[in-house]
Amino acid sequence: MDFTFNPEQDMLRDSLRKLLEQQYDFDTRQKIVNGPLGQADALWPEFTDMGLLALPLPENRGGFGGKPSDLVAIGELFGQFLVSAPYVGAVMLGAQVLALGGAAQAVLLERVLGGQAVVALAHEESHGVGRLEVLQTEVQEGSDGLVLSGEKRLVLAGSAADKLIVSARGAQGLMLVLVDPAAQGVKVTGYQTVDGRQAANIRFDQVAIASADVLPDADSDSLNRILDLTRLMLSAEAVGAMSALVQISAAYAATRKQFGQPIGNFQAIVHKLADMKIACTKSQAHLLNVTALADMGRAAPRDFALLKAQMGRLGRLVGETAIQLHGGIAMTDELNVGHYHKRILAIEAMLGNTEYQLRLAGAGG
Amino acid sequence: MDIEFSPALEAFRAEVCAFLETAPPDVREAGRKTTSVFAPFETVMAWQKILSEKGWAAPNWPVEYGGTGWSAEQKYIFNEEYARRRLPPLLPNGLKMVGPLLIELGSEEQKQKHLPGILNGDDYWTQGYSEPNAGSDLASLNCSAVRDGDHYIINGQKTWTTLAFKANRMFMLVRTSSEGKKQQGITFLLLDRVDYPGMEIRPIIGLDGKPEQCEVFFNDVRVPVSGRVGAENDGWSVAKSLLKHERGGLGDSAAMYARLELIRAAAQGTPSPFGGMMADDPTFHQAIGELEAEIASCAAYERMMVSGHPIAQDPAAPSITKVIGSELAQKVSTMMAKVSGVNALPVQSQALEVGSNTAMLTDDFDLIAMPYYLLSRATTIYAGSDEVQRDLIARSVLAQHR
Repeated sequence: MDFTFNPEQDMLRDSLRKLLEQQYDFDTRQKIVNGPLGQADALWPEFTDMGLLALPLPENRGGFGGKPSDLVAIGELFGQFLVSAPYVGAVMLGAQVLALGGAAQAVLLERVLGGQAVVALAHEESHGVGRLEVLQTEVQEGSDGLVLSGEKRLVLAGSAADKLIVSARGAQGLMLVLVDPAAQGVKVTGYQTVDGRQAANIRFDQVAIASADVLPDADSDSLNRILDLTRLMLSAEAVGAMSALVQISAAYAATRKQFGQPIGNFQAIVHKLADMKIACTKSQAHLLNVTALADMGRAAPRDFALLKAQMGRLGRLVGETAIQLHGGIAMTDELNVGHYHKRILAIEAMLGNTEYQLRLAGAGG
Repeated sequence: MDIEFSPALEAFRAEVCAFLETAPPDVREAGRKTTSVFAPFETVMAWQKILSEKGWAAPNWPVEYGGTGWSAEQKYIFNEEYARRRLPPLLPNGLKMVGPLLIELGSEEQKQKHLPGILNGDDYWTQGYSEPNAGSDLASLNCSAVRDGDHYIINGQKTWTTLAFKANRMFMLVRTSSEGKKQQGITFLLLDRVDYPGMEIRPIIGLDGKPEQCEVFFNDVRVPVSGRVGAENDGWSVAKSLLKHERGGLGDSAAMYARLELIRAAAQGTPSPFGGMMADDPTFHQAIGELEAEIASCAAYERMMVSGHPIAQDPAAPSITKVIGSELAQKVSTMMAKVSGVNALPVQSQALEVGSNTAMLTDDFDLIAMPYYLLSRATTIYAGSDEVQRDLIARSVLAQHR
């Protein structure tokens, strides 16, 4: 058994960490996030050059065939640096689902991997669980061909995407269709999420779909695998955020003085810090175990569900405790603590929250 | 990353399984009726004898003293298969505490005298550490030992001496000096019998209605100086060295997974007041899902320990392990008692005995649910309370910033 990153992964982490330290310290991040919509892709050229965009994609689609542990290796750093660049939306979801397509999508995929185009997956609906069985968006056979109708929520990277891939129920089951966001009947409402990501809610009102824009052989298993891998990536981000919060809170408790001494002398504070450390350690261990299982192709859907649930439960504990431990200063936008907590909260809500994952696993799913 | 065991390790697993399948029926019954760290005494000591004849009683000991020489992964596999079968855990005092301590710090004479009996289960050692006024603050103990020629004369009281009324040996901490810091006047003693004149053992009835813990009173008890481990007044460092052998955690998650399956099975047979079975109730799904998630985190952490991952090498790791394991045992036992519900309320001390002729009222899940729940309240108290562990964890986290 070995749960450590290999030398190549360590190198990748080192160079990514250097890049983020140089170009994405917290103040810079805040400037980017608070700028106009679209500036969140500040790191995109660098990510492209580093090969991160192609990392998870299969080699026969122009990717590097990266393993789950490759993604976790960078995901932790995304969490630690609160990266707002649309990696989850544009790569984990958009590019990976696009790569399920055939020759007709090859040119677009090449542009995506080259950083010249962004494709977003419009999948989540108001349940927010990503479960295929509850999809409401539909593709129907109209008099002039296929038409798409429905509403998608939290389309990550969807506010400035060049193309959308929309999941929908068709006559034969799951369909994945490419849609131009400027097409008639598409209404994109872009926004920023609480954790600094760009996203959109998108309505599709009788949107005409050319048959060439239907991804051939879309199957639920492939999409579910991509969603589970994205849950793993989000879990890695959560662990990165939790580790940062433990460090930041310990430094604060060691130096912040009240009643004439560092608050880290008070047992009430010390035990909160210990709870954070324990939760963070459990989360790290859980993440690495599921990552190793995934590398071996042995992670079952319930493994991802239980992991995601723990990230929600333990992450919330770490984030809320960090805020309490800092006191009033943590209620300000200026301090990074609240931003880490918001990242954790967003991760919890995405692709099935804690209660959903627990019920799923508890019911034997 | 790699999570596979080698074919050689899988062959080892098969060998372990084959042997564990030969465990006698009363040993299996003792496992099913284990409600705390301490399995039913007579049966588990007899089982230890069988294991020691196989050479498997002390996986953590060096080979030259009768250990197995197994790798960390082999020990992990053994623990996993052992716990999966719900076999009764061997009592830890000799095999995991005083035995390894003697191997490290005992004199040649002490090793020869005591290790064989510890290994084969002839001797059971009770631990004399805590006192009524020295619990978490153990170093404030004041049970005294005064040197008189080749003997120490002991006066005072020990408490929480587990199963002392079954024991024939005792290891203890005594105060030999009140000079300087309180840690500096402590001495570690081995008592080669527990029926010295002036010793009195009184069992304490626990929350489960049965005696497990004891008090031991010492009134001018003369014990030989040859039982001292380490130097006089150096017992605190001896005791601390023992603590490192007490590392818990390993194999706990396999036992917890086994109990999770018991809970699932019990819920299948328990009607829900809202119709159907408890196992079909969404609130049960969420609760059992949460429990499984917690067990999975603990199991993952154990794997970090076995594989030597850096997060398990953290200076705070022993305390983190203790807290994770103890809190998990409480969560599992709480869920068992909840699922058992009113069926956990009848006191069934007779039926809980191994080989009892008294029929249990319902089944062995209900039989152990309440005693296990009640005794599990101790997991966050003993071996350094979880509050003390949290102090230690935070101290190590803060140390990097001070």
